[in-house]
Amino acid sequence: MLSHRHRPPSPVPDADTRDDRVVDLAADSAARERARETAWLERVRDHGDRDAYERLFAAFTPRLTAWIGAQGLDGASAEAVVQDVMITAWTRARLFDAAKASARTWMYTLARNRMIDHHRAGERRARAHDGYATLLPAEDEAVDTPEQGLTRARIAALLEQLPAEQRQVLLLVYVEGRSHREIAQELELPIGTVKSRARLAFNRLRKLLEDPAP
Amino acid sequence: MTPAHHPGEAWLMDYALGNLDQPFEAVLRAHVGVCASCRDTIAFAERLGGEIVHALPGRPVAFDARAICDHHEQETPRPQAVSRAHGIAVTDDIERCVETYLDSSLDALPWRGVGQGLRLCRLGEQAGARTWLLRGKPGTVLPHHTHAGSELTLVLKGAYFCGDRIYRAGDIEDADESTAHQPVITRDGECICLAVTEGRLRFRDLLPRLVQPLLGI
Ligand SMILES: [Zn+2]
Repeated sequence: MLSHRHRPPSPVPDADTRDDRVVDLAADSAARERARETAWLERVRDHGDRDAYERLFAAFTPRLTAWIGAQGLDGASAEAVVQDVMITAWTRARLFDAAKASARTWMYTLARNRMIDHHRAGERRARAHDGYATLLPAEDEAVDTPEQGLTRARIAALLEQLPAEQRQVLLLVYVEGRSHREIAQELELPIGTVKSRARLAFNRLRKLLEDPAP
Repeated sequence: MTPAHHPGEAWLMDYALGNLDQPFEAVLRAHVGVCASCRDTIAFAERLGGEIVHALPGRPVAFDARAICDHHEQETPRPQAVSRAHGIAVTDDIERCVETYLDSSLDALPWRGVGQGLRLCRLGEQAGARTWLLRGKPGTVLPHHTHAGSELTLVLKGAYFCGDRIYRAGDIEDADESTAHQPVITRDGECICLAVTEGRLRFRDLLPRLVQPLLGI
């Protein structure tokens, strides 16, 4: 997932600055993509716009399905959860408030709430995991548009700025839905070590995403 | 109320993602209800969740958008927060908050005196974590102890010192196996705390070790 494979060719030949330029370009594109998603959801909310809903659907169902699969649900259950989330996004779009969250955050919180209500942490945890890396589909199964690929490159580039051990904790928490206490047991690390890795990773990304570099 | 001591980001991420068992979830919810700073952190944790999910390579699905639009009417739902940061009742009266949660006044609970100006009330155990209330007279010195796992302590009333830190109503003390402490209640008034503890406490001194099995702490 978090490889360089999805980065577009560099617009400049200088190898030292290339990564930064690509990140800047991708940041622009990611912001535009985020704004577009929010505009679609507002059209669904305000006008029951089916075209906008179809775009929203195409942008979110594949990713949410991948995420819920990584949390330990089998293919059919993951699809049932995502279908439910997408029905909610259509029927209850009037709950969306762009002043509080982007469409991307809102769709994520809908899926998370559905997981909390119907698949409690203990139950999810009881399922076998093979690790987040192996649960992801091979690249050639992915169904992203080129621009979605660019956004992915941007997030991947941000995650790549983290030391490997911090990234590992963050992805176990977010992608597999493990608590930091479970991670400490699994990796046989003191709880304090896992907490400090989580803190460093989280605050670094918070800084990068909340006030992007000029 | 502006709490000065907060749970670590690891707890707030777990809270935002719904990764916690009920006892830790409950004590965090009470703090988050009075802490704007932690609500902001949770809102960012949700945003980060959206971004990370967006970084996953998508998987194709076998259902389509048109069928959903054809078979479901759009509703006008009652306003309802979907965020775990916005969805929390915010109140400055944390004591009252916990009474509502317990469906009992604090005074009506079955407190057990354990000597040295200290009373305990065990509220339950789930998934290896015990929830209890602790109530001490002004100036009470608690036994020096370390932890076998995580411990979150929320001050409901009064205040206590731990080394050079002071924990007041609304604050959370976030302790784990690396923390050794000896809380001392301030002289200003009684102190009531809600604590969730995983694993047995390890006391340095003999007397508390002797009474520990009787108290179940
Ligand atoms: Zn706080």
